[in-house]
Amino acid sequence: MLFFSFFKTLIDHEVTVELKNDIQIRGTLKSVDQYLNIKLENISVVEEIKYPHLSAVKNVFIRGSVVRYVHLPASAVDVPLLEDATRREAANQAGKAK
Amino acid sequence: MENGTAQGDGKDPSGFLSQIIGAPVTVKLNSGVVYKGELQSVDGYMNIALEKTEEYVNGSKRRTYGDAFVRGNNVMYISAD
Amino acid sequence: MADNGDDGANVSEPLDLVRLLIDEFVFVKLRGDRELKGRLHAYDSHCNLVLGEVEETIYVVEDEDDETDELKTVNRKSEMLFVRGDSVVLISPYSGA
Repeated sequence: MLFFSFFKTLIDHEVTVELKNDIQIRGTLKSVDQYLNIKLENISVVEEIKYPHLSAVKNVFIRGSVVRYVHLPASAVDVPLLEDATRREAANQAGKAK
Repeated sequence: MENGTAQGDGKDPSGFLSQIIGAPVTVKLNSGVVYKGELQSVDGYMNIALEKTEEYVNGSKRRTYGDAFVRGNNVMYISAD
Repeated sequence: MADNGDDGANVSEPLDLVRLLIDEFVFVKLRGDRELKGRLHAYDSHCNLVLGEVEETIYVVEDEDDETDELKTVNRKSEMLFVRGDSVVLISPYSGA
């Protein structure tokens, strides 16, 4: 749930989603679910010349499993809060994989 | 069911793994990359923590790591040296 | 110093190694001949990560028509990066250049 909650704090921020097929889509994060599926609005495709097939598309829903990276604005991330939440999640998860 | 404490007796796969904790091991990944190091811990996903690890790609040494966490889904086998 | 302690307090399971690296510089090996160096801000049990001050190295084989295949590296930077766990192969403390 850590990253689901984390992404919810980034809603309405500009992010760039990099897919496993190397396509990069920039847009406003509009929603996210527990699978880290992502909805982006007002998108533009980085390197549009190479990937022209999305140039008419405004909004996308991206299946979480095809994501490699999400590039985030550093200014939108509260690092101490995130690190504390990570330590709490680690304490909750301890021993579950045994 | 004659043995209530099956863990650690080496008679099943996870028993084997807990038995070789602390020992030098070879870990081969699906990609063919090989890690040789001291087995610090393993969990149910076959995530692995190694110490003093050497990384081999195509048989030649690429890198060394003091500590290394390997994600279990990449593991082909773990062998006690 | 029980080394088989089940309390999860120390380094008894592999992800404990990653827990000790929070706010430290780490080296991450990914599928597809990619490597990252960056400061670890977050992780979960799937190995989803958030890294800051990231440098990515991609190893690519240049497929030139006349030449033999050439191994090249591409370097990219990112100020803050979420990495999906299924791409992760290895995580290790980063020890200088």
